[in-house]
Amino acid sequence: MAQPLASTLVESQALYLDPEIRDWVLIPIMVVMVLVGVFRDQVTVLIGGGTGKKPGLKAIRESKALTRGVTLRNYGNHIQNNSFFVRKTFLSEAYKRGDYLKNPAAANHAVNPMTDPAGMEMMMEGMKKNFAMIIPQTIIMGWINFFFSGFVLIKLPFPLTLRFKSMLQRGVETPDMDVTWVSSLSWYFLNLFGLRSIFTLLLGEDNAADGMRDMAAMSQMGASPTGQPQDFHKLFLAESENLELTPHNWELDDIENRLLIKFGKRSPTVNNDDNDTIEMEDISSDFSDVKGKSKRKGINKKK
Amino acid sequence: MSSQSPQNQASLYVPENIVHNVKTITFIRSSMSAITGSAAGILGLTGYSGFIFYTLTATLTSFLIWSIKTNANPGIYFRNGSDVWTEGVFGGLFSYVLFWTLLYGIVHVYD
Repeated sequence: MAQPLASTLVESQALYLDPEIRDWVLIPIMVVMVLVGVFRDQVTVLIGGGTGKKPGLKAIRESKALTRGVTLRNYGNHIQNNSFFVRKTFLSEAYKRGDYLKNPAAANHAVNPMTDPAGMEMMMEGMKKNFAMIIPQTIIMGWINFFFSGFVLIKLPFPLTLRFKSMLQRGVETPDMDVTWVSSLSWYFLNLFGLRSIFTLLLGEDNAADGMRDMAAMSQMGASPTGQPQDFHKLFLAESENLELTPHNWELDDIENRLLIKFGKRSPTVNNDDNDTIEMEDISSDFSDVKGKSKRKGINKKK
Repeated sequence: MSSQSPQNQASLYVPENIVHNVKTITFIRSSMSAITGSAAGILGLTGYSGFIFYTLTATLTSFLIWSIKTNANPGIYFRNGSDVWTEGVFGGLFSYVLFWTLLYGIVHVYD
């Protein structure tokens, strides 16, 4: 039974683990992470970061006025020339005069977030939420390190390089064991990554149960510590300039021509010389296409 | 509608609907990843065969989405029709690996 050393290195090492490890470590860690995630999401809702404080009427009017300008720019080609022109001039003038500003007196100087009470509250709210969300992660990691260290938990089905060995086998430093045998901390990390989509399934979009999102938010916060509330006066001025620059090209301009071409009553103009033979299939009798012109794409939702 | 500029054609897509469609695809993919990950674990796949299994099932999922959900016409549901083949595949990989490891451990490692 003297097997050469090379073959034992090539074969995957088979260790048999106590089933109690599975019952008392593997499943509980996963269950705890799922429950803590759900708990955090509910706590976020209860604290009322999203629906608790309603902004005032003027603030809403401000942002919606800006949205109106953007919408006009994007969909301007759907309305006639003079309609577009009327709306464009009205909005440009209104933006320049500062009609929609929440606080017209502040229009000439930048709003300092330190002195503006609404801005300050917003920043504090965001920071509080971020820190509150990081705490459960750290607690769970400490709990796992304290209770569940010193043994291998599970075998990863995929191979990894030796560099990961020290990270994944923390607490069980044996030189010969495969990197595929890992400790509980790596199971924690695996759960952290893998449960994100499960949370999306369980809790719907935009849930606060993601550990990864918190880490991303933390790194972002380090980069830009002051969250500047938007200076609407500048935004309005920029938007009015954009509006004035927008060209307008009514989509239904040559609709009579297009309709006649489609039904074969008129041959295409010289501009479309490359497709001057209309296939007979175009002249189809399904008039649903006529209705289809006014129905826009993208409205067809998925079933 | 050859006389429409590309900007007009892009603006014909309603943004909320596109978001809804992307959410649907993500939902389908994460469910499928969890199930196929469990299947791979139970089957005892290791190493490369596990990842190949994932690509196969991801392609199968894309094909099912393309044929059944979009009726072979993904252009009316997304701005770029070939998004149905690639959207959400990377996110699904993580849950696939999680369930693969979990089931593999439960079935093959423990007594």
